[in-house]
Amino acid sequence: MALSREIYQALEDIVGKRNISEDIGVCETYRSIPSQSSAHYGPSEHWTPLPQAVIMPGSTEEVQNIIRICNKYGIEFKASTTFWATMGYIGSDYAIQLDMRRMKSVEIDVKNMTAIVEPFAVAATVQAEAMKVGLNLNIPGVGCSSSTLASTAGWAGFGPASIFMGASPENLLSAEWVLPNGEVLRTGSLGSGDGWFCGEGPGPSTRGILRGIFGPAGSMGVCTKIAVRLHPWPGPADFPTRGTIPAYKADMGDNFKCYTLCFPDWQSWARSVQYFHESDVLYIGHRQFTMFGRNLKAAMLRIITDPDKQLCDLPTLLEDEEIKKQNESMKLDYQIVIAGMTERDMEYKEKAVDEILAQTGGWKNEMMLEKDMHDFALLYLLRLGHKNLNYVMCGAYEGTFGLSGNVWKTIQVVEDAVKIKRDWEINYDHIAATGGDSAMGGTSALGGGGWTGWEFFTNFDAYDKESVRGTCKFIDGNQEFQTKHGFGPDFCRWNADVRHMNGYNYTQEEHDEIFKNAPQPLVYAYQYKIREVVNPNNLCGSYLRTLTPSKAK
Amino acid sequence: MALKDFRPMMERCSTCTHCKFIPFDKIKSIRFAENCPSIGYYNFNTYSARGRFQLAQSILDGRTDLNETVTETIHSCTSCGACDVTCKVCRYNLEPLEHNIELKAYAVENGKVLEGQKPVIENLKKENTMIPKAKKANRIDWAKDLNLKDLFKEKAEVCFFAGCKYSYDEKLQKIAQNTVKLLQSAGVDLGYLGAADNCCAGRAKQMGFFEEFDNSANNNIKAFQKSGVKTIVTPCSDCYHAFKRQYAKLGLEVEVLHIVEYVDKLIQEGKIKFTKSVPMTVTYHDPCHLGRLGEDYIPWEGKEKKILNQIHTWEPRRPRYNGAYGIYDAPRNILEAIPGLKLVEMERIREYSWCCGAGGGCNVSNPEFSQWTAGERVTEANATGADAMVTACPWCKDNFLDAVDENGNKIEVLDIIELVRQAM
Repeated sequence: MALSREIYQALEDIVGKRNISEDIGVCETYRSIPSQSSAHYGPSEHWTPLPQAVIMPGSTEEVQNIIRICNKYGIEFKASTTFWATMGYIGSDYAIQLDMRRMKSVEIDVKNMTAIVEPFAVAATVQAEAMKVGLNLNIPGVGCSSSTLASTAGWAGFGPASIFMGASPENLLSAEWVLPNGEVLRTGSLGSGDGWFCGEGPGPSTRGILRGIFGPAGSMGVCTKIAVRLHPWPGPADFPTRGTIPAYKADMGDNFKCYTLCFPDWQSWARSVQYFHESDVLYIGHRQFTMFGRNLKAAMLRIITDPDKQLCDLPTLLEDEEIKKQNESMKLDYQIVIAGMTERDMEYKEKAVDEILAQTGGWKNEMMLEKDMHDFALLYLLRLGHKNLNYVMCGAYEGTFGLSGNVWKTIQVVEDAVKIKRDWEINYDHIAATGGDSAMGGTSALGGGGWTGWEFFTNFDAYDKESVRGTCKFIDGNQEFQTKHGFGPDFCRWNADVRHMNGYNYTQEEHDEIFKNAPQPLVYAYQYKIREVVNPNNLCGSYLRTLTPSKAK
Repeated sequence: MALKDFRPMMERCSTCTHCKFIPFDKIKSIRFAENCPSIGYYNFNTYSARGRFQLAQSILDGRTDLNETVTETIHSCTSCGACDVTCKVCRYNLEPLEHNIELKAYAVENGKVLEGQKPVIENLKKENTMIPKAKKANRIDWAKDLNLKDLFKEKAEVCFFAGCKYSYDEKLQKIAQNTVKLLQSAGVDLGYLGAADNCCAGRAKQMGFFEEFDNSANNNIKAFQKSGVKTIVTPCSDCYHAFKRQYAKLGLEVEVLHIVEYVDKLIQEGKIKFTKSVPMTVTYHDPCHLGRLGEDYIPWEGKEKKILNQIHTWEPRRPRYNGAYGIYDAPRNILEAIPGLKLVEMERIREYSWCCGAGGGCNVSNPEFSQWTAGERVTEANATGADAMVTACPWCKDNFLDAVDENGNKIEVLDIIELVRQAM
């Protein structure tokens, strides 16, 4: 059902002719195909539905007016910014897509160590503005191309620096939130006219409702502006980059060091992580480069740090004895960055790292200590500007398994997961053969430590439909492992209960069938009640997991 | 390649948003973080490289037709290649720029062109120039009294190729004349094609008019070959790119140098000496077709080969054009050699420079968009506090001349040769 002329005109009157389109060509470019890039939804060959129009608001008031029109006429709406993940797209045929691109301001409040950001301010730009005044922010693992507002207000948002800065749930302060019914709610201190500095109050404390731990993925209206907590940045006002594209590097001086720490076994690995959680010396802790696979990571690091190398150099590099030696050294590893706030602080942190290595039998990988390699890895981890290397090998990937939780539990089963993936790589050709272990993720997804967030990078070819279908089979098989070990849904199926694989929303009846059997069904019934209040017409898709209260056991 | 041959790229694009920004490691502020004029001006995702992949896919799949909006979208791309550079920070198997131009060619093949493009292409066919209303008969008027050798009558070491903009634009002709005088005074044995001097048609290629480009290029290659040209020196970045990259694909085997490369060499050899101070602070604008698109052409024929099950490689090794080896240092060397001159850099430079807005013929087909793009660059130049913006391309210079920044201010725009002459 196309929008009536009356509705379209009403929307056009809000944003102006230039900022709305129902042209088929424009609308077609606002669809997601989850085989190319889904984020927690799994490969699928179905496009999300075609929006009836795409609209680009330029202010909170315009967002409010658009939502009022949607409520008046029963039109689903969903706001998105970078249009990377499927969760940002609409899920029904009678829906409009809000593209928040026109709203991209960043305001840094140095005194209160906060950034007040609009939706299209991506993390790289927020960080660039914060660095000028000695501050920094948690950038989620997906990279600095992500919207800071979307990841902070709408999704999990943990990343390499979360051990020092915390993840999104901890960094969201006040928010200007246009509820799905069109009302504006100013949360935390903003709600009482006291500025943006606090998410809890004085004023309405709604952080738990607005985002909880994982965030509502755009299903609870539109945040038009939020404040995020900033953290100390003891570095220069901008990155002193050098090198030839794409192998940019940065010499950050003596108060930044990046090490790849390696261990003889998983027990030692986990003990070192625990010690780091307890010692509070890390700026960044992340198992990053294993995303290329246990067998390929040293060779891939050589390729991506040399502007003249390409993927076709892999076979030769893999035969190189030195590369084999480095791969073996880095088999059970993770990367850390320490940042000295003072010279003494840096000395202390260096000593702490060495002591933890001594106590756990670990070592620093020597290849990663080479000047160029060090400066590349350091820049990579501080800005996360090369995160699209996630896709470098095949063009598509999914994070699978998802061994997220207590590190001591994770390490008990990690090699079993490695074997499952490695067997699949050997027996089938659907996914890239990278060595089984491709577990990437933070050494802590919480500030201070305590919870890992791992995914096994599984690379496949979205153009090759056999590869896509084979990858789906691999993922479905992994679910048995996940369930058996109590890890819940496979990482790339996290959103499979909030959007059908054909791209459409779940109905409430379907959600009732799913969530009535959940371990804690009242959580979903509670969310249903919240939705009733703020989203009475249920217009933002089915990413909010809800259960009709009468169906709760 | 035809549009359908780009389908693997359309389906392997990871929708990552990198194509809308300069390389993330290089971002210094939110104000100058973006790289694509097209999405910068029009805002819809459709105008980004990712959007263009998706638009093309929907056209090939029959979900979208070449309606008026789609046609305008396709042609509203300056072909500047900024998306291409950023995409390739992390990807080895996508060619967004090549695809954007192929999509234009698809529209052209289907008769879908913009009104503003018609007089440009018609004049290319009729008068051998892409300057509307210009006449072939007047093409070499600018070269009168310069004692340039006609290479069809006598031999010379170097063929000077001014290009349409310098040849016809009265504001710019003096720069071409001074360039010739500069080279002659440095003892360069200089000639030109005389009556056989015609448009390089590189901009026709950028606009998707492949047939018109091929016709012009093949005629020009014959002229170069017949006149025995060994080295071409041009002050125009579009001509430079056309000869160095596009003509090379068609078989032109001559040395191609931009004037900045040649002057840099002459300075190093002591054949150009500066005697006057030029007490100015300037900022340098890297022309797209000299910088990121100015890399050498490397012949390649091969096919995709998967290794380790699904990893994409090419057999044999495929050349990678990502702006790494464009012409960036030569103009800066010249500016730094000028006594009294101070160079201050903008935030977006070298391979991630912002486009002037004239590329892809957008200065004639989409003038408002083109001027907005130029204005963005003037804003960036003024933010450096420079007295003037220097460039090495007549299309850039011309587009900047009328542009104003976000506060309505202009900036003095100089061709690098103007500064060189001032210092002599």
